[in-house]
Amino acid sequence: MAKQATASGGANRMTAPAGVWVDRDKPVSFSFEGKRYKGLAGDSLASALAANDVWLLSRSFKYHRPRGVLTMAGQDANTLIQLPGEPNVPADRLAIREGLAAWGQNYKGSLEKDRNGFLNCFGAFMPVGFYYRSFNKPRFDRYWEPTIRRMAGLGKIDLGAGQGYFDKAYLFYDLVVIGGGAAGLSAAITAAKASAEVLLIEENPALGGALAYARFDAEGMAGERRRQELIAAAEAEPNLTVMTDALCNGWFADHYVPVIKGDRLYKVRAKQLILAQGSIEQPAQFRNNDLPGVMLGSAAQRLIRLYGVRPGKTAVVLAGNDHAYGVALDLNDAGADVSAIVELREDAGSGPLAAAAQDRGIAVMAGHCVQEAVPARGGKHLGAVRVSRIDGPGIFDPGSVGIDCDLLAMSVGYTPTYQLALQSGGKLSYDDRAAHFTIAQLPSGLQLAGSLNSTYDLSAAEAEGAHTAWRAATALGLEAGAEPAVPEDRGAAGVNHPWPIFQHRRGKDFVDFDEDLQVQDIQNAVAEGYNELELVKRFSTVGMGPSQGRHSALATARLVAKATGRTVAETGVTTARPPFSAETLGVLGGRIFEPERFTPMHHKHKASGAVMMTAGLWWRPAYYGGKAKREESIAAEVRNVRNNVGLIDVSTLGGLEVRGPDAAEFMNRLYTFTYKKQPVNRSRYLLMTNEQGVVIDDGVACRFDADHYYVTATTGGVDRVYRQMLWWNTQWCLDLDVANVTAAYAGVNIAGPKSRQVLERLESDVDFSAEAFPYMRLRSGYLAGIPARFLRVGFVGELGYEIHVPASYGESLWTLLLEAGKAEGIRPFGVEAQRVLRLEKGHIIIGQDTDGMTTPDEVGMAWAVSAKKPFFVGKRSIELRRRNPSKRQLVGFTLPLDGPLPLESNILLDDAGEMAGFVTSAARSEVCDAAIGLAYAPAATKPGEELTIKYSDGRLLQAAASAPHFYDPGNKRQEG
Amino acid sequence: MAAANPVRRSFALPKLEAAGARFEALGDFQIAVSYRNAADEMATAKRMGLADLSPLPRVGFKGAGTCNWLQSRRLKIPEAPNRAAPQTDGALALRLAREELLLLGGLAEGAPDPGDLCNRWQVARTKPRGYPLPRQETHAWFLVSGEAADSMLAKLCGVDLRPAKFANLTVAQTSLARVNGVICRQDLGATLVYHLLADSASACYLWDCLLDAMTEFQGGPVGLTAVRALPAT
Repeated sequence: MAKQATASGGANRMTAPAGVWVDRDKPVSFSFEGKRYKGLAGDSLASALAANDVWLLSRSFKYHRPRGVLTMAGQDANTLIQLPGEPNVPADRLAIREGLAAWGQNYKGSLEKDRNGFLNCFGAFMPVGFYYRSFNKPRFDRYWEPTIRRMAGLGKIDLGAGQGYFDKAYLFYDLVVIGGGAAGLSAAITAAKASAEVLLIEENPALGGALAYARFDAEGMAGERRRQELIAAAEAEPNLTVMTDALCNGWFADHYVPVIKGDRLYKVRAKQLILAQGSIEQPAQFRNNDLPGVMLGSAAQRLIRLYGVRPGKTAVVLAGNDHAYGVALDLNDAGADVSAIVELREDAGSGPLAAAAQDRGIAVMAGHCVQEAVPARGGKHLGAVRVSRIDGPGIFDPGSVGIDCDLLAMSVGYTPTYQLALQSGGKLSYDDRAAHFTIAQLPSGLQLAGSLNSTYDLSAAEAEGAHTAWRAATALGLEAGAEPAVPEDRGAAGVNHPWPIFQHRRGKDFVDFDEDLQVQDIQNAVAEGYNELELVKRFSTVGMGPSQGRHSALATARLVAKATGRTVAETGVTTARPPFSAETLGVLGGRIFEPERFTPMHHKHKASGAVMMTAGLWWRPAYYGGKAKREESIAAEVRNVRNNVGLIDVSTLGGLEVRGPDAAEFMNRLYTFTYKKQPVNRSRYLLMTNEQGVVIDDGVACRFDADHYYVTATTGGVDRVYRQMLWWNTQWCLDLDVANVTAAYAGVNIAGPKSRQVLERLESDVDFSAEAFPYMRLRSGYLAGIPARFLRVGFVGELGYEIHVPASYGESLWTLLLEAGKAEGIRPFGVEAQRVLRLEKGHIIIGQDTDGMTTPDEVGMAWAVSAKKPFFVGKRSIELRRRNPSKRQLVGFTLPLDGPLPLESNILLDDAGEMAGFVTSAARSEVCDAAIGLAYAPAATKPGEELTIKYSDGRLLQAAASAPHFYDPGNKRQEG
Repeated sequence: MAAANPVRRSFALPKLEAAGARFEALGDFQIAVSYRNAADEMATAKRMGLADLSPLPRVGFKGAGTCNWLQSRRLKIPEAPNRAAPQTDGALALRLAREELLLLGGLAEGAPDPGDLCNRWQVARTKPRGYPLPRQETHAWFLVSGEAADSMLAKLCGVDLRPAKFANLTVAQTSLARVNGVICRQDLGATLVYHLLADSASACYLWDCLLDAMTEFQGGPVGLTAVRALPAT
């Protein structure tokens, strides 16, 4: 059917003024299915193809039936096409651009000659509920899943696609109006005149809504005239911001609405919200109602008026309301031969549009229906319709007349675009008399206007928009003048035909185009016992496709209501949830904010060849040297600390200032040890338990003054400790202040037998000698001119000093120490070496050697738990748990140095082969001449006992239990 | 024993160096004074500029007695939390809570160091008088300037910072690109200006986020010289 395009943008292109969205001076070249075409700037891909007489856009999901334009509103799955790297793009929403290349979807071979098209003849073997019955069977995985994946589905994902640039932004408005049609424009202008800050969101490229494409008068110009007037009025309002091509995709509490525009997600906060999104025209059900060439009346009008494309040469209009006569007039104006208006009602329309159509001599067949659309030769486009006399609701006379046509435009009714309104908590009802849905019980600050609120008359829609704006402005406390009149006649009568469903004995009368579901499928679902709509949905998949029931919900509700003997109101519709329309994962992910924290020495580590690792948000050096030499580098760093002196960046350690007259009391209550009598200028180990007596953090309490503790905490735990401190003191109301100063201090640990020599090379007012500065003492002073806090601690089991300086001095301190220690062979060491060193010493790491149940007793920390204090957080639980002693304890173990090294979480087995514990840490230790580790083992385990460790590959390793202190158990080195 | 002249580093220093900053000494610090020619930089500052002011002095106080003690030091205390008050010496006092203040040193050359208050606090006998906080070290200090600054920040922050809604000398304690931060509007001359104070360890990360968000506004880094010239524009 494809023809060579003309320079004017296609053979079906009409002359101006038709086509308000296209620019006839800007031709655009593009390709579809490998063929080149020309369109116009402003065309969608679907309109440009239609202009070129190309109507086949895709193949249906299940039966691979040919599909084409249905809505021209980006609301259906018929027009989903494939772009390079992006599947499922609505062709009737996608603007063409120079060089655009697009393809159809879901076919084998070519779109024109789909080798899977034979499935159309096998509908009987794919009954409703096929997935429901099949997907839970073992055979599904083996046979059905790969088969279905091959034959069904939508587009193809490009697994090699790179990450695009998407971002997000916040917006704040007094009033947000969603929908830029007559009602929305009126509302936005009215509110802006009352000084409200207004955002008007329109999903299409231009404002106007139905004003731009529908026909409101016999002359056919009233809509466009009014559109221009309203747009001019909107542009004159400085308080009114218009966002076109923007999709509001959901409603969240307090009128928080996500709006997608291009690659950006706007998170919009609205004080007041007016929904004016209009309504969605509905298809009729008859055999082959999905053939290309069968489309909604509004789709035909959009093609004509928005894009200047004639939708067919010979047309039939199926009428269930007076809007159909406007469609017929538009088609007539577009040069199409309108063969007949098939009027479902017994009487022809009575309004001015119907009169105008009859004046033009267009035949009206009242009381008739289309019972079947007949494909033209080739089966891929409409060739004729068979028209029958209606005998009753949904029943037609078997006799029929055929009318040749290449276009059937359906105008039988609408559903409100209710999704956002229902997401906000609105309740949907059905007016049986008018045969349409209504929405009520909306939350405060949210109103509806226009055809979404069943207001179809143009002037009534504008008046309603103005009234909702007045209410919104008044609620905002603005002076909005006198209350405008509420329209009395909203023009809703006769808009929806009550039963445009004409089931055919040979089927293919589609209710849900996305899922290829026919009238009989819905009836069968009910017959199977799924008589609630939500169950029908799950069983049949109706409404689960890309269009999310926009064109199937009403027909399904009517069919289920009839089959179950209830009213449509009682049947309802399925739950509406965000998103309203498909959205890309890129938009959802947006600009990815992943905070990172760097120590002041970070780039020094990088310059020294450090391999960095993360610790929470922090980056820390794991070891220095290339990844290829990981083990050698770590071993060399360990060796240097044991024999010479090493320097590690500990800036990530938590730092908290606890100051005030009650600081000691606070520390005593919060930690397990005793702190009231801790002398000034001494440090003391800290162990924190929670109320369940579980170990949650450790550190050092540095008492710099009677009412001043500088508390260290683990890198990963400090934020939690800080919260705990604030939480508890809110209850205790002690006189003190807590400040998290983690980032304020850069910290280093200089450790090794020569560490004192290095420090003594630098100018300082602190005496670092063993006598003047013993183990677990503190000093404040200067080192090479840098103000510093000095802590003699021994995490790695050697003589060592932690030095904490203001962060801005961190890099200088690091550089000075490395320079000063050259003669001693100083070198930096990383976290991995520190893990080995501390393991040799038997120091645990909270979170690695503890879990969510660990008590101080289990990890040999009973010495850090005061029995004399009347209270500390966790005390009562620890005492209770001691009545039933734990069945496990943390023990050391050794294995041969050159054998397999257990991994963390390898399990211990008992004699019966049952799990008896697990490994928490393991490392090869040169100084111990063994592989060493810590593991939870049965409580009765004694040093020297054999432990069976199940290695990752299943081998059983026989380890010897030991005390957890492998190196210098007498602490002579670290306290020297 | 070796003596040394230690140098203090801005937390965003690697980023400033990569952007081609020219530095000058400011106490123990090196501060970025410019990145390109003065006219271009001034135009950038007025359109959308990002300056690192981390080397400038600042200090915090919090806890019972803070306001009274600072008032006794002749500091003008903002009338309510989340408001800021300029001081006669060019400093800016941000009231973060009923008894918590953050003092930013003045931008002008030779402005007094509010950190000196810590020395006075050490020797004072008044009780209670709050507790000093090392804000010079806990927080990096960035300045964002330009007519679209609020639109750019809307990409990083969920607070409505539009000039009509976020008055001059208003403070917000919020999240910026998922980093906790303090934002204070203090227009300089006719230019819209926001001070951003956020975790110093996240300074490099935040610098990148801000520059990225500025791209669509043709924003870029500016030095202290351009910032100091803004009040006269």
